[in-house]
Amino acid sequence: MTPMRSAALAALLCGTALPALAQDLTIGRSSEQSSIDPQFSRTGNNQMTSTMIFGRLVEFDANLQVSPGLAESWQNIDPTTWEIKLREGVTFHDGSPFTADDVIYSLERADEVPNSPAPYTDQVSAVAGMEKVDDLTIHITTNDPAPTLMEDIGRVFIISKAATEGRSSEDFMTAEVAVGTGPYKFVSWTPGEALDLQAYDGFYGDAPEFKDVEVRFISNDAARVAALLSGAVDVIDAVPPTDVATIKNSEGFNIYSAQSGRIIYLGLSMRGDTAPGVTDLNGEPLAENPFKDPRVRKAVSLMIDRQLIVDRILGGSGVPAGQLVPEVLGGHAADVTPDQPDPEQARALLAEAGYPEGFGITISSSNDRFPGDADLAQALGQMLTRGGLKVTGVQVFPYNVYSKAATAGDYGAFVFSLGSSTPTSGPSLQALLHSYDKEAGVGAFNRVRFSNPEFDAAVNAANQEFDEATRITMLEDATRLVFAETPVVPLYWQVIHWGMRDGLEISAGLSEDTLPQYVRSVE
Amino acid sequence: MTVFILRRLIQAVIVLLVTSVIVFLGVYAIGDPLEILLPGDATAAERAQVAASLNLDAPLPLQYVTFLTSALTGDFGNSFVFNRPALTVIFERLPATLELTITALVLSLVIGLPLGLWAGTRPGTLVDESVMTGSILGFSLPNFWQGMMLVMIFSVWLGWLPSTGRGDTGTILGIRTSFATWDGVTHLILPATNLALAQIALVIRLTRTGVQETMPLDFVKFARARGLSERRILFVHVFKTILIPIVTVIGVEFGSLIAFAVVTETIFAWPGVGKLIIDSINALDRPVVVAYILVIVAMFIVINFLVDVLYSLLDPRIRGRA
Repeated sequence: MTPMRSAALAALLCGTALPALAQDLTIGRSSEQSSIDPQFSRTGNNQMTSTMIFGRLVEFDANLQVSPGLAESWQNIDPTTWEIKLREGVTFHDGSPFTADDVIYSLERADEVPNSPAPYTDQVSAVAGMEKVDDLTIHITTNDPAPTLMEDIGRVFIISKAATEGRSSEDFMTAEVAVGTGPYKFVSWTPGEALDLQAYDGFYGDAPEFKDVEVRFISNDAARVAALLSGAVDVIDAVPPTDVATIKNSEGFNIYSAQSGRIIYLGLSMRGDTAPGVTDLNGEPLAENPFKDPRVRKAVSLMIDRQLIVDRILGGSGVPAGQLVPEVLGGHAADVTPDQPDPEQARALLAEAGYPEGFGITISSSNDRFPGDADLAQALGQMLTRGGLKVTGVQVFPYNVYSKAATAGDYGAFVFSLGSSTPTSGPSLQALLHSYDKEAGVGAFNRVRFSNPEFDAAVNAANQEFDEATRITMLEDATRLVFAETPVVPLYWQVIHWGMRDGLEISAGLSEDTLPQYVRSVE
Repeated sequence: MTVFILRRLIQAVIVLLVTSVIVFLGVYAIGDPLEILLPGDATAAERAQVAASLNLDAPLPLQYVTFLTSALTGDFGNSFVFNRPALTVIFERLPATLELTITALVLSLVIGLPLGLWAGTRPGTLVDESVMTGSILGFSLPNFWQGMMLVMIFSVWLGWLPSTGRGDTGTILGIRTSFATWDGVTHLILPATNLALAQIALVIRLTRTGVQETMPLDFVKFARARGLSERRILFVHVFKTILIPIVTVIGVEFGSLIAFAVVTETIFAWPGVGKLIIDSINALDRPVVVAYILVIVAMFIVINFLVDVLYSLLDPRIRGRA
């Protein structure tokens, strides 16, 4: 439906914007938070809203790098003890001072929010004990040395102990309970409709330019674009790639694009001796799973023309990838480049691995998870056919059906994505490529069941390393080590777009957040 | 009559029970809510914690029994996504949908009835042909396309009407509604028109057919013979007769409008239940999906029941059969 709607938009567009808005700034957002309680769920939607109202111990910039937030400085006293100095003179929206008690209370509550669908459990799991030294100093002890402690507990939003003690997540619907230290005060939220905010005069950082802000939730792509073009909203996020040109060509509007940390990859299942949908040329099961051979995985990677996919399917909204994280994140190895299409070498590798005539393969994908996901599966089918495999099927499903089946291992070759929300590649590498171990909680997203003990050791060692520069070098080495074997076939990083009326600009980046405090007027 | 009502009640309970099983199993079969709810970097420990807190780790029959026992006390469970009672989440959004559907229904009657009468009394003329051709358009143009066109023309092109959300709402008799402010009313016009177009076409067709079937009947001839004016014959005697099927169909259509205003609500970002159910299905928010469908089934049962009761009051023959 999206292409049809987009065509209708493109065909009919020559409009002018309505001036005069009730609010200083109105944002049209595609996704809505499920609660104002910043600790209720740590999905991206909720974190985005919480970042407007609440503060954290550290700030994450547009590229997810850490800088001091409510914590002014921190240091290791010994490998398992941290001393955190809090910022002085910070007040909550109700005027009460921010102290160590609020931090300890918030970190203790983080994994205890009842019925939370996505608790901050992992962020505070390293914490063994907390001790208030004075109002602005805290000592935190950890069970094991935890080099990334500040990145982890720094993700937890700090709430006021006085205002929220004994309150439930639902109570955050009122401005008395939803008090934070962030740039905006909570005014009201009408679920499914809009969130109203007002700038907080006592904010400790740079005052935001727009005082009264309304965030409207418009999940339908075409409706969001129409709302921008009709002047109902000033800024929209998640502009579909197909509508980017429409907005650019409309007078009075412009587009801001940024590379996302979300990697789209093709997973080749190494579970068991047969991969679902992978057969010999007659449709009979193969004697062994070909994807267990790194040469076959490399051959598949060499069949894919990433630049062509980005140009033709995504309208340029992608960056070809050869590893998990983009160059702005720590642990990106500059010399691990995306494979260029090379059908000759792919055939040679297949022959070497014992499949000179190729084999049968079925490619699966979602059809509503990210722009172009269904088209991508078809393009991959064509490219793999040209590369010498016999593509027996391309199947796509809605994400709510697809995700369960992919995790259960129902697909032999499947398209999936992984977002980065941390300053380095460490957590991504560990979740996606570390050998799957349910007990140890590693390899949680290793749906292909890739396993290389040498890499496991390398990534674990890197995540234990205290010195940041050394840790990043170790992660780069681990990336080189693992991608020499093509554990998954990286395809591209998404490029995402914001649309806004002329005279506005937004800073946004890997975090993909659309925050009113980052919107400014320009000449 | 008592036996008739009792029998309908027992049937209603059975329908609700069967529906709850089907929907419960259906949502379970689609996928795993944890895959959708958890953020991309969740660990196995977090997964287990969430599964336990949402009671998703219990065997399915047990989950259903838990659901059923609390549902009998009126508790349909908390939404996985919002952690608020599913019924609260639904009833919070119902007024927005009711406001939209009632406006659409009024529009369809105010526009559809006169046009239908006009066309019906002039069969075969240019008026009749034009109205009938127009109503075919109302039927056959896809709802979402009509919606996009309305947005493009009246919001983007002409800039006359807003296209997203409910606008400023005020309170009338304690209910938050868009009718209370001019801004709210302007927000209502486009979505209500979008929802009404197909209904207008339906009312036109029903009215026209009714008029054309009734006009040649004996009682109209006798009325003419008595010297009644054409106007009185049409608006009093004919109109009363043809209204019965129209009211029946409109009653049922009203139910479907409430339940399935999904497309309109999505296009116009209208914060009603239609948008809620789509979002909930995508997020596999089982308590909301199950509660919503049970509410809608109950609503249809009530509407049909009322229609049946009305029928049996109007027509003694139906009472006898029941």
